[in-house]
Amino acid sequence: MTLTVFALNALYGLALAMNMFVIASGLNLIFGVLRVINFAHGVFYMFGAYLIYTVTKLWGFSFPVGVLAAGLGLAIIAFFIERLLLRRLYGQEHLMQLLFTFAIVLLMSDAAKMLWGTDQYTVGYPPAFTGAVNLGFVVFPQYLLFLCVVGPIIAIAMWLLVDRTRWGRVVRAATQDREMLAALGVNVQMVYSAVFVLGSALAGIGGALAAPRLALTPGMDATIINECFIIVIIGGLGHLWGSFLGALAFGFVVQFGTVWVPNWQDVLPYLLMLTVLLIRPWGLLGRPEAGR
Amino acid sequence: MRAGWSLVAAMALAAGGALAQGEPIRIGAMYPLTGGGAIYGVPAMAGHQLAIEEINAKGGVLGRKLESVERDDKMNPSAASATMKELITKDNVHIVLGGLSSAVGLGMSEVAKQEKMVYIATVPKTIQMTSDKLHKHVFRIASNTDLEGDTLAELVSKYKVKNICHLQLDYAYGHDLEAGFLKALPKYAPGSKVVLTLKPKLGATDFNAFIPQVMSAGCDGVVSGLWGPHFVSWVQQAKPLGFFDKIKWISGGEIASHEVAVSLKDEYPDNVISNTYELWYHSQDPMHKTFQAALAKKLGTQETPQWSMLGYNGVLFAAAAIEKAKSLDPDKIAEALEGLTVHTPVGPLTIDAKTHQSNTGQFWGPMVKQPGKDYRVMSPVEFIQPKL
Amino acid sequence: MSGRVSLAVGIGILTLLALLPLAGSRYAIDLATQVLIYCLFALSLNVLIGYAGNVSFGHAAYFAIGGYACAILLTTYNWTLALALPAAVVLSGVMAAVIGYFCVRLTQIYFAMLTLAFAMLVWGVAFKWREVTGGDDGLTGIKVPTLLGNATSYYYFTLVMVASGVALLWLICHSAFGLMLVAVRENAVRAGFVGVETRRLRWVAFIVAGTFAGLAGALFGMYHRGMYIENAFWTESAQVLIMVLLGGMYSFFGPLIGATVLYLLQVATNQFTQYWPTVLGLILLVILMFLPDGLAGLAARFRRAGGRN
Repeated sequence: MTLTVFALNALYGLALAMNMFVIASGLNLIFGVLRVINFAHGVFYMFGAYLIYTVTKLWGFSFPVGVLAAGLGLAIIAFFIERLLLRRLYGQEHLMQLLFTFAIVLLMSDAAKMLWGTDQYTVGYPPAFTGAVNLGFVVFPQYLLFLCVVGPIIAIAMWLLVDRTRWGRVVRAATQDREMLAALGVNVQMVYSAVFVLGSALAGIGGALAAPRLALTPGMDATIINECFIIVIIGGLGHLWGSFLGALAFGFVVQFGTVWVPNWQDVLPYLLMLTVLLIRPWGLLGRPEAGR
Repeated sequence: MRAGWSLVAAMALAAGGALAQGEPIRIGAMYPLTGGGAIYGVPAMAGHQLAIEEINAKGGVLGRKLESVERDDKMNPSAASATMKELITKDNVHIVLGGLSSAVGLGMSEVAKQEKMVYIATVPKTIQMTSDKLHKHVFRIASNTDLEGDTLAELVSKYKVKNICHLQLDYAYGHDLEAGFLKALPKYAPGSKVVLTLKPKLGATDFNAFIPQVMSAGCDGVVSGLWGPHFVSWVQQAKPLGFFDKIKWISGGEIASHEVAVSLKDEYPDNVISNTYELWYHSQDPMHKTFQAALAKKLGTQETPQWSMLGYNGVLFAAAAIEKAKSLDPDKIAEALEGLTVHTPVGPLTIDAKTHQSNTGQFWGPMVKQPGKDYRVMSPVEFIQPKL
Repeated sequence: MSGRVSLAVGIGILTLLALLPLAGSRYAIDLATQVLIYCLFALSLNVLIGYAGNVSFGHAAYFAIGGYACAILLTTYNWTLALALPAAVVLSGVMAAVIGYFCVRLTQIYFAMLTLAFAMLVWGVAFKWREVTGGDDGLTGIKVPTLLGNATSYYYFTLVMVASGVALLWLICHSAFGLMLVAVRENAVRAGFVGVETRRLRWVAFIVAGTFAGLAGALFGMYHRGMYIENAFWTESAQVLIMVLLGGMYSFFGPLIGATVLYLLQVATNQFTQYWPTVLGLILLVILMFLPDGLAGLAARFRRAGGRN
């Protein structure tokens, strides 16, 4: 493999990784604070993709408007799901919450079929990023380069939000000890609500960003959720930079898997996750939990 | 001789009498009506319905009306097998038509074998159905992967492609088309070789991991079986890199059909040579004009999709076979189908008595721009019909 | 329910099922065969959930292993059923032992995730190992002995296998082993204090669950004359989990009720609408919000209420 081909594949892997990071980071945030494994994250992602299709292709708005609409749309949906239903299950076993999110998957994927039908749609690259850019050593699609930039920006923004603001301190405290926080007069319900909404909005934004680089079909939710689990588990459940690392590992394994073991690339991420789970069950950057 | 005829008549009466006179003949039809395959399954079902309406308007078959029992095959072999079993045991159909993906076709053929029910495959192309997995009750009026692979190899030679990148979907159709092509390649183009083989999965929408491999493999042409939506996604994702400026795309999978041309419009790349069963703008048989006009009326568009004709032909064969068998007994229908010739919108087609494969031809040619049209058209059109 | 009453009810149901083919409906026989298979599948999962308290999110893996193994041995290697079926069931048990060995080192969410990961790996292998499994097309044309070739004889075969499976599972769950499992579920730490090796116990439960799921899978493959990769996909694992939950996981017979109700409901719904997932989602919401013990729990509640009156 020449250096150029290697670099080209590395860039494609990076673009995939960064798109996946945006989606998986939302799942990770929700797990970190609420301790809920949100199976519905995949269907939120799918709604994000369908929303940008409707807003940009059918209503003719610009790409940034579409991305915002997808994020906002999912925030609203998530708000009502959390307020009306999920909230009633916080005291229950993990299994109940997990199955609840699975019920949301079933309901929302059918809703998507009712709203958008079952045709395959394409969104296409936004007008500003239709071409390719010559980086000197390789030619690379502009839009994918844009994704490579967006991922780190979102990562840093989330890190600042969680690590450097008062709200972030409250969120972190909520992951540690919710009773203590409530005793201190913080509205823990509010924190949960906000985290669920933010995490779900990231799924919507991730779906909107993914839409131009693939095609939209019913069933796109069932594969992405597995891939998000892989990323979050590799990195360490609830760990922001862990997810970033997990996304990078996922992107490169898929891309270079296609080069070196073509046709088995779909199985490699699962092997990677198993290896990590067997050696460090709490993930690359996670910490073993007490009472496990 | 006369005794023989009266015996046949008596048997026909007995068979007919078992089911009350005038009760409709139930034709089961399964196509993908939801999901990725629906773009083709829905038009195929429309063609199926059109044929049933036309036959019923002329008085039906054996004096009985045809009743269409329609089901979604979900393009999933597991669900399709269960659905077909239900069609037979619960809905008591007399024959089953359809299927779209090759995997579904194989599953349906297996149920047909078990339940001894005639199944006419209208779209699935895997050669297995009419070779190692052939049985008494399965017939095919689609083309097949050996015929398609043969033509692909011929085109590789015609367009002088030396280094081939081979793209096939990872399921029965892709694997069998690959085998059919590789079998024929030395015959037509002994100097050409395959430098890269990639197999994305059926239903894939993200080809970004594959595109750089093909770009850097040093091939001057792609031989492909990426059909419909797969091809559309590939085009959109590969276009920024100027993929099609450098590489010729020789493809099976009917991407020269009008549906694909319209879904890509101006984005449809140059350098594509492919096939289609039918072109609404091209009539080679007088029957095509009337068929196309009726279909256009039914669908409310002048520019009709190609898949309808396959659904339509399926019903024509089923009706002709029942008429010839004068019976609804699956074994008799199967015998009637062997060697049966039916006049279709692309001319007369015959089902071979041994292989159960019809001599269905396809239109092949390059897709070009034409002034005043916002979609690509095939020109020149060449009809390649196999001799069986 | 006292032992004697459940025995009487069991024999009654078994007699009814044995008489079913007399009704003369081929469709009913087909339905009943599939319901029986799902009953065994759901019951096997409940050993892990209801008794050992471990939620597996990848139980379809063992169903698929059993199904594929039996299909491959029968079809590719031309084994007789008397050898192929036991071999397939043993193989599912062995695979469950290997996978379970790693999984039982973790608990709760991590356990669920690890079972899911292994199951998706099984799915990936079934998908990509085309030469052996038939890949995305599935493995069709399974050679079933001619003796079991018609629907009625296969129904009786399934009935015998499932009934024996249920009886065996009943014995296992009501043995000292089963009681210890419940003790571990209720309080792992305390069970550990009294000398129960919790991890080994959970491991054995995992193997038992996998083995019987393998039997269900083998029966399924032969019934459909085909195995498909969907049978190993995570949504299949979720479906059987819902069956257990619907029936009630803290009752031995609950999963049988859950599997029967859910499967028949699915068939009925599909007659009217393609939106079965919506119906399933609503059912799931109702269970989660109002019926945490499932249908069996609901029945018990009614009985208690009746008793009080």
